[in-house]
Amino acid sequence: MTQKNIETAVEVKNITKSYPGVTANDSVDFKVLKGEIHALVGENGAGKSTLVKILYGIEQPDSGEIFINDKPVEINKVDKAIELGIGMVHQEFHLVPSFTAAENIGLGQEPKNSRGFIDWDKLNSEVSNIAKKYGLDVDPKLRMIDASVGIQQRTEILKTLYRNANILILDEPTAVLTPQETDELFEVIRSLVDEGKTVIFITHKLREVMEISDRVTVMRDGKVQGVSDTKNTSPEELAKLMVGREVFMQVEKEKAKPTEKVLEVKNLWVHDARGLLAVKNISLDVRKGEIVGIAGVDGNGQTELVEALSGLRPTSKGEIIFDGKNIESISPRKRRRAGLAHVPEDRANTGLNLKLDIWENLVGTSYFRSPLSKGGIISMKNVVEHSNNLREKFDIRTPGVFVRTGSLSGGNQQKVVIARELSEDPLLTIASQPTRGVDIGNIEAIHKQLIEIRDSGKAVLLVSAELDEVMSVADRVAVIYEGEIVEWVNPKDVDQQQMGLYMAGIKD
Amino acid sequence: MEKFSFKDVLILFVGTIITISIAWVLLTVTGFVPREIGKLFFEGAVVGQRNILNTLNIATPYILTSIATVVSFRVGMFNIGINGSMYIGGLYAAWAGYKFTSLGHIPHVSLCIAIAIITGSLWMLLPAILKVYAGVSEIISTIILNFVAVLFVSYMANGPFRADPIAPATPRILETAELKQYFPNSQFNSGFFIAVIIAFLTYFILKKTTFGYELRSGGDGLVGFYPSRYSSYLGIPSDRSAITGMLISGGLGGLAGGIEILGNARYFYQELLFNQGFDGILIAIVGKLEPIGGLIASLFWSALRNGGLFVDYKTEVSREIVVILLSILIFFVSAQKLVSSLERFKFVRKLDAFFTRKIK
Repeated sequence: MTQKNIETAVEVKNITKSYPGVTANDSVDFKVLKGEIHALVGENGAGKSTLVKILYGIEQPDSGEIFINDKPVEINKVDKAIELGIGMVHQEFHLVPSFTAAENIGLGQEPKNSRGFIDWDKLNSEVSNIAKKYGLDVDPKLRMIDASVGIQQRTEILKTLYRNANILILDEPTAVLTPQETDELFEVIRSLVDEGKTVIFITHKLREVMEISDRVTVMRDGKVQGVSDTKNTSPEELAKLMVGREVFMQVEKEKAKPTEKVLEVKNLWVHDARGLLAVKNISLDVRKGEIVGIAGVDGNGQTELVEALSGLRPTSKGEIIFDGKNIESISPRKRRRAGLAHVPEDRANTGLNLKLDIWENLVGTSYFRSPLSKGGIISMKNVVEHSNNLREKFDIRTPGVFVRTGSLSGGNQQKVVIARELSEDPLLTIASQPTRGVDIGNIEAIHKQLIEIRDSGKAVLLVSAELDEVMSVADRVAVIYEGEIVEWVNPKDVDQQQMGLYMAGIKD
Repeated sequence: MEKFSFKDVLILFVGTIITISIAWVLLTVTGFVPREIGKLFFEGAVVGQRNILNTLNIATPYILTSIATVVSFRVGMFNIGINGSMYIGGLYAAWAGYKFTSLGHIPHVSLCIAIAIITGSLWMLLPAILKVYAGVSEIISTIILNFVAVLFVSYMANGPFRADPIAPATPRILETAELKQYFPNSQFNSGFFIAVIIAFLTYFILKKTTFGYELRSGGDGLVGFYPSRYSSYLGIPSDRSAITGMLISGGLGGLAGGIEILGNARYFYQELLFNQGFDGILIAIVGKLEPIGGLIASLFWSALRNGGLFVDYKTEVSREIVVILLSILIFFVSAQKLVSSLERFKFVRKLDAFFTRKIK
């Protein structure tokens, strides 16, 4: 920190916010100095999102005070937060795909000319001026539909800057980026701070905390666990604060002992929902006792590949051979019965029905079997026992299994999916983005479970956009780009930079 | 589904008070004494054997149509065609009631009821199939089928099934086909018990059987968004669930119509007017899309209706006032945003948490 950072930009004192049955923020004190990059870290459900939602006026605290630039304020709606110079970039972008960058940025605040019409030239030039000033390389006339994820994110940042935000809240901004794009984002964040902005950076990736932040606040169970200067702390210490116990950052595993093939994909072609080719001539195999990883930036055909394997999407050409039989034209339930489990990437709509109770989601693959049901009648006693066992084994944090699944945090929802899928002791588990939106303590647990499956002689196909995850968990990795496998690598032999190039489709 | 909570009770309470105040004003303005009207209203709804029986009798079709709505909504289908099923079921119950002449009481009544259920159910087959295999919105097709049903039964009562040379109506059903009326002063009949049994049976099936789980898993909370990806992902045949749910829904509608004929009207005539199929949708929503909720809401709704009828019968007050008041009440009960906005009050949150714990 430099000398000028003596004032506080944001200070909240004693904020408490509870929902029925949960205290999301429990007497939280949180202070961000002017001109600093402040990382806010914590597990899912730790209360980070609630805290920033309160700051951005989406939620109201039960009690407590908020100070912006040392003045007490009440932020009762988002407009008020914007007025106070707070800007937020959400994890999911809020952009109109058919609009250009400038149209998105100016939406709602378009400059008018003397006749009262929108002054497009002025808007475009204003946008490029701000973009230039902060080193955000965005063409104002580029349609969002044609823009990469990185550009879209910059557009979101520009949107906040256009509204004169001085305090920027970035919610898990790197979750969707390649390593190169992440580096570029960090450049942008640094230049924002150089221009006097303050950045609150929410993440669960500790490597990024160490790299970018000046100070860091750790939350757990709705309480602040610690605040420190980043240079005086270490990832191990932060992880411990976040989880409340010692965490092993490195995935520990023995060498894989693969045996016979359980899945063989031969020259598979799959179309996506719009009818475009999404998977082009992919061949791969997975053997018992190994974890095969598929790395790649989101949207390069992984979704369609996994859906084709699990039976949710028809294949166009090619063969899928599972446990010696062709399965490309049989139903998802038959594939499940044959021993194929699937943790889908979209847990909210596919993996779970959030309107159902937890127990109802937990028995989704087993409700028809004894002892959970007999003669078509569900045995509540056995179902509750089964659900409580899974709840304990997979550490699903909930007041009970008769709670609506949608009321759980994202990480706990994911644990419900994983608990259900692994409870069937499948031959092959297809895990698609299994740790997306999951916190560090649980990531560790999920990785361990995947490796346990492997060590018990079963197979895992791990599809993830999280490069660290694929590299540390998988035994062999295929990099996918625009529906094709660019390269097979041994994770021990390549570095992040090289992988980044493969993920961008560049091959030597 | 949305779970019951203290907030709902509070909203209902506040809504009732506001509704009563509006009624007060309306009655005073039109020159009545609200106290007396209120007393009559209450009497008509729930005081005395005759009034209670009439309330229960009115409730019978509402119970069935609201449960028909519950079933269709919970497989994710927005079935507005229950009224059509009522007409079809009613018509064919009447036909079976006079056509089969050599049966005993129980076999004959059972046959008529079975025919009402089957025809009401088949009426929903087309929209279900169109939805699942061609993607035709069930909202549109069931609305259209309501009109078709009215025209169809009107034709049948006027043509093939017509008996009376003067009036377009079927013959009266035989005594063996009648649902028994137990009391001389009311049309209350055994159909009510059938409806109550259906309510508890539906609750049991939806909540406690694997069949019910399959029906619900894809549709719960997803009305209009069928097919859900969740059920196809689990390998639950969601197409089959959706069609089955629609057929059950139509069957219950047919049953409602059948009971109206076998228990009350005793013959089918061209001008017969059913609208319980539409009210059933409202009642089901008030009952939070739970079968038992639908049962309770139907009884509540019928009490209000019957109170209104009684006031209409005894005084000059227009019966429409009751409809207006009912609508205002529904307004409050279905105002989910209003319900959730109550969360800003601390005592509501506390009581909510308190009651939630009690229920667990």
